[in-house]
Parts: sequence; structure tokens; C-alpha cells
Amino acid sequence: MYFQKKRVIAMLLAGGQGSRLKVLTEKTAKPAVPFGGKYRIIDFPLSNCVNSGIDTVGILTQYQPLELNEYIGNGQPWGLNKTHSCAQVLPPYERHDKKSGWYKGTANAIYQNIDFIDRFQPDYVVVLSGDHIYKMDYAAMVNYHEQHCAACTIAVRDVPLKEASRFGILNTNPDNSIYEFEEKPKKPKSTNASMGIYVFNWDILRQFLIADEEDPNSANDFGKNIIPNLLGAGHKLMAYNFSGYWKDVGTIDSLWEANMELLGENPEFNIRGDERSKICARNNAHPSSYIDPASSISGSFVAEGCEIYGTVRHSIISLGCTVGEGAVVEDSVVMPGVTIEPGAIVRHAILGEDSRICRNAVVGGAFGPEDKKQISVTAKGAVLAENTVLLPGEML
Amino acid sequence: MNVMGIIFANDATLGALTANRTMASLPFGGRYRQVDFALSNLAGAGVRHVGIVTRHHYQSLIRHVGSGEEWGLELEEGGLEYLTPYASSSTDTYRGKLESIYSAMEFLKTGPEDELVVMIDSAILSNVDLQSVLASHVESGRDITIVTKAGIADGVKQLDLAVKLDDKGEIQDIAVDYQAPSDYLASMDIFVLSKKWLIRQVNEHIAHNLYHMDRDLVLGLWQKKAITINVYTFGGVAMFNESVGEYFHNSLSLADSYIRRDLFGSNHPVYTKVRDRVPSYYGANCSIDGCTVADGCMLEGQAYNSVLFRQVTIRPGAKVENCVIMNDTVVGEGAMLKNVILDKDVVVSPGTQLIGTVTNPIIIKRGERV
Repeated sequence: MYFQKKRVIAMLLAGGQGSRLKVLTEKTAKPAVPFGGKYRIIDFPLSNCVNSGIDTVGILTQYQPLELNEYIGNGQPWGLNKTHSCAQVLPPYERHDKKSGWYKGTANAIYQNIDFIDRFQPDYVVVLSGDHIYKMDYAAMVNYHEQHCAACTIAVRDVPLKEASRFGILNTNPDNSIYEFEEKPKKPKSTNASMGIYVFNWDILRQFLIADEEDPNSANDFGKNIIPNLLGAGHKLMAYNFSGYWKDVGTIDSLWEANMELLGENPEFNIRGDERSKICARNNAHPSSYIDPASSISGSFVAEGCEIYGTVRHSIISLGCTVGEGAVVEDSVVMPGVTIEPGAIVRHAILGEDSRICRNAVVGGAFGPEDKKQISVTAKGAVLAENTVLLPGEML
Repeated sequence: MNVMGIIFANDATLGALTANRTMASLPFGGRYRQVDFALSNLAGAGVRHVGIVTRHHYQSLIRHVGSGEEWGLELEEGGLEYLTPYASSSTDTYRGKLESIYSAMEFLKTGPEDELVVMIDSAILSNVDLQSVLASHVESGRDITIVTKAGIADGVKQLDLAVKLDDKGEIQDIAVDYQAPSDYLASMDIFVLSKKWLIRQVNEHIAHNLYHMDRDLVLGLWQKKAITINVYTFGGVAMFNESVGEYFHNSLSLADSYIRRDLFGSNHPVYTKVRDRVPSYYGANCSIDGCTVADGCMLEGQAYNSVLFRQVTIRPGAKVENCVIMNDTVVGEGAMLKNVILDKDVVVSPGTQLIGTVTNPIIIKRGERV
């Protein structure tokens, strides 16, 4: 079979469990978690690829892949189903030499798919994670990588010093070349946090993946093993500064915040943007929404297929939701297919897909005086019975 | 059962709204084109072999429907074909449905010989279960099945084709281009017939310079007792968008939840071309009441009892009431609009006032600045 040679292909790590999203990822892989009314998290890196001219994407799945695989399908929503483009789902598989099985780490996941990458003889491989919300032109990063003749380029963003110890920190020389990588350092030397976006020269990465697999003590992880090994071998690694919006939505709090940051007249993350950075999603044939005279909506996004009879303030109402008469939704993320029955009150909450809040039930409430947010969460398909209460910070 | 579909894009009868588009490509309901309903009815019944007959201004239609992939018609075999006047014959534009089928005979002859043909129009919108219509046709053993709707004939509206049944459900009268009284059933311009029979009739009719489906084939043969007809009465919502007044009324009637649920979900989803707009944003001081709203809108003013298509902007202080506002139109600060249909890409300058009537809405043409 003929495969067109590609200058750049992308490998998207989408196998993580996302256990910190708790009930939201019990039955759903993190990249398939709904976001922003009509999207799923994976739409962001996938659309970024397409908008950056990358038409070949390998998607590494492992945890709860059913919904995610179904969602990606043949890649048609992102235009990745053409003759020389693809969105290829790559689950773990069994091989004759036992060098296979579950993906042991991020590097091992790519290692197990060397054959897939080799088909396209790429010069560069972009490695991405499926759990970040941002818009980025990877083509500009690849060009930067090429201009600096680096073996690897890592996207970095400036984080506040007090938060730096939560990230992988890259210490750089004045020319932005990297001399040290520290995973979650106790005493960070810089505030250049890795965004988990890498560009590699494929021939070099390939060599290092094979060597890493031979090392029984390796965690087979990009941050812990591959990057330090490349540095140790004297390769040139560059940091690529990115100052746009970027959010790791790995926790309930950050997922809620990232949704809230879409709102407002001048939102922190302007999802509307221009055509060239458009985020595409699989479409579900919902009709237009109906907004009843009894309703009141302000400072909110409402996607298609909704019927709104109640009050919605500063919230995201996703595809196919109903908000009944007299119901109030405030500061909340309502995922697709949710029904909020008349008289129910929802505040500071994330309501999982297809969950139902029955008549006069109450979800969440005001945040306490302490800094800690208390988001109430319902799992996919959960039902909160009539006249019952889900306290702030509780999960159903 | 092998089934093929023929969709008629229809002549334009909606004045300025269809000056440059077919009835098939007229936007409807916030996110659709009228042809989406016919295509989705066929797709919902598993029909994978569809021709669209169109005679002029079909550019916007082709741009919208494309290869038909949204309706599962992007196929190697069968799939979707456009049957335009110059596609296969040297005839001028078509005078009637039979003539258009005659010039698309090559298309009709592709596929299995024992196929049934569903003929369906794009100006009458419904969510009809064609599987049930097809089953009724086969069970009846008759030459043709006509899908009809009660309650449309009112003695005023001129119907293309109307039938009156007797107590036993048999046809008592058939009328064409007739202001039928209310005891007539209106044809929804959906017909089922066998391909073999259709080909034979088309050849016979064209040979005798007859080209009108309703007048020549249905009425003419019935009067000669040369056709057996099965009348299928559809119980759901059927929107006859055959005049500006009807289009306007039917658009605003989407605020009725019964109508909405029947039209968009009674049998199958209605598919349309994907546009990937963001969800609509409702500003801090907006007031949106009784509206049908698609994706991508930026709503900062007031809208009452209106249909807002994709990417419509209502600026602060603007007020629209009983309006149909198509894609990408911007209503400026402080503008006041009542009973207005705004086509795509219109810009309404700040402070503009436009007031039409319910029976005679003002139409602002595509791309105009007012």
C-alpha cells in the first residue's frame, strides 16, 4: 500500500484515565469529556492539528475507549478522512515478541506504534496530550524547531513561581536552549512550565524510544526518561514560548474554571475566534434551541437542541439540554443531554451528560469563604430525586 | 425493498427570497435549508440512491448539499446525483416533472429494475416515516401512492393537487391547481411508484407532449380509469411553504413545542450541513423570549417571537419582534424591527426602524445594508 511521505505527523496521547475528574471519567476517557457546550476536550488538539496543516494524526487510546473511538470515528468532522489524511485510533495490541500489551507510559505508547509512524517517513513528530484546552499553531512551532536545528522542542509557558512545582520545569540558557528538565521540582529554578507539547526529529526520537524500551528501569515516560536522556546525550533541545490561553483541565476545579473562562464580553479564552483557528466537533443533528418567554438568560452560552424555560446565569448549557420553568442555573457547566426539571436550583456545579435534576431538587450553593472551590458534580446519567439536595462539593 | 429517491428542487415562488436560489436551498428554522427535510426523510428510510432535479439557480443548492455525506449519500455506487437540464440531454429547461424525469432517464435506469421510486418536493416540510409509506404502497398493490395531509385545504389556498375521499376511503374527486374546500386532502407532493411503471408512463406522456405530473399523469389517468391510486394520510406536521406569508407564519410557528418536536424528532433527526459555529452567547443584558435560536449568535439586545439563524448578531439596545433573521446578519444598536424577514449577510444600521405586517412582512435582500 502507498503512503504519502509527510513532513509532520502528530501523535495524540489520549489514553489517560483522568482519575482526578472522578465521576466524570468513570465511564469516559478524559479526552472525550464534554467541554464548552458542544465540544469534547480532544476537539482542541485535533482541530489545532488540522488548523496547523497536520493531516495525519495517530490517537493513542487505552482507558474506556468506546465513547472516544466512536467520537473520533473516521475523522470526518475534522476533515481527516481524505485520501492522504487520517485520524487513526491506535489501541494497545499484542505482538509476537511480547514487546507489547498495555501502554506502560507515554514513551512506550509511541514506541509500540513505531510501525504506524514509519509508514509516513515523517521528518518531525509532534507529540500532544488530549487533556488541554488551547488554540495553537503547531506549524509555527515546527518551523521554530527546524530553524534551530533542534532534536526536540518543548512548548513552555510562564507560570507563577508558587505554582511552578506542580509542573515539569525547563531550565534554559539565554538562547532558549534547554539545559535541564525537572519534573515537579520542590525548588523551581525557573517558571518555564512544559505544556506537554513536543516536536521531535523522528529519526532521533525513534532511536531513543528503542533504547528506552531496552532499559528495564525506565518508566517509559517522555518527561522522566526521554527528555533527560536526550539532554544527557548532548542533543539540542529548545524551549518554545507560548503566551496564549492554555489550561490543563485534569481536575474538577480546573475543568469548571476553564468553562467559566469562556464567558463574558471579553472572555479569557475567546472560543469564537477566527475561521483559521476554528474548533470543529462531531455534529449530532440537534435542531435550533427554543428560548421560551418565561426564560431569562444572561452571560451564558447555550448550544443547539436546548429548550430553556427557566433562568440561566453565567453558565454553559450544552447540546440538547432542557431547563424547566422556574428552575435556576448559575455558575454551572451543564453537559449535553441534561434535564433540569421545573423548580430545581443548580449553583456552582458540573452536571454530567444525560443527568437529570428532578423537580425542586437543589444542587450546590455559594462557595464558602475559604479559597477552596466546592463544585458539586453529577455523573453521566445520574438522577437527583425530587426535593433532594446535593451539597456543595458533593458528587452523585 | 430497493428504493430510490427523486427530490425536486422546485420553482421559486417566494419573491425576493428565492430570486437567486431554489426552494430547496431556502434557509428554514435557524439552521436548515428546505431540502434537508426531503433528504433526511429519504435518509431516515435508508434510501441511498437519490437524484435532485433542479433547473436554475442551483449553485447554492450544490454548495449546501455537496456530495450528500451528511445524509449518508457519499457513496461509490448509488449515492447522490444532480439532475440539471444540461446534464444529459439537449432539451431546454423542464416544463414539468415528467419532462425532467424524461431527461434524467439514464439516472432512473441505474440500479435494480425492481426499485420503487419516492418522488418528493422541497417546499413542503415534514418528518414523515417513508418506510411506513412504502409499506402502505406495497400492501395496496396500486400503481401510485400519494401522501396527503388533511387540514391544509381551506377554500382559499390553491393546491397543486387535492383529493377527496368517500366514506369508504376511495377517491371521489381529484383536482389540480384548485382552491379546494376543506373536505379535500392536500397532496404533500410525495409519491411512491414502481420504477418500471414510472418509466413506461413518462415515455407515453412525453410522446404525447404531456409533461405535468399532477394534471396529466395523476388526474388524466384517473379520469381515464387507467391508474389505481393509494392515498396515504400523514398525521404529523406538514409545512406548506409555498408563499412568503406561509413561509413567515410557519417559521414563527416553531415556537410551538408540538410543532417543533414533530418536525424535528417524530421519526428521525433532520440532518444539515455542519458549520462548526460556537454555541450562541447570551449577553449580560439581553432579553430573548419565544425565539428559535441556532448556533454562533451573539445576542446582546432584545428578540421576541423570532427565528435567529447561525451567527446572527443582535447588538445592545436593538429590538426585533416577529422576525426571521438569516445567517450572519447584524442588527445594529438601537434598531427596531417588527415583521421583517432579513436574508443572509444583511447589515441593519444602528437606529434603523422597519415595520412590516404579519401578512406582509418586509423582506430585506441578501447582503443589503439598511
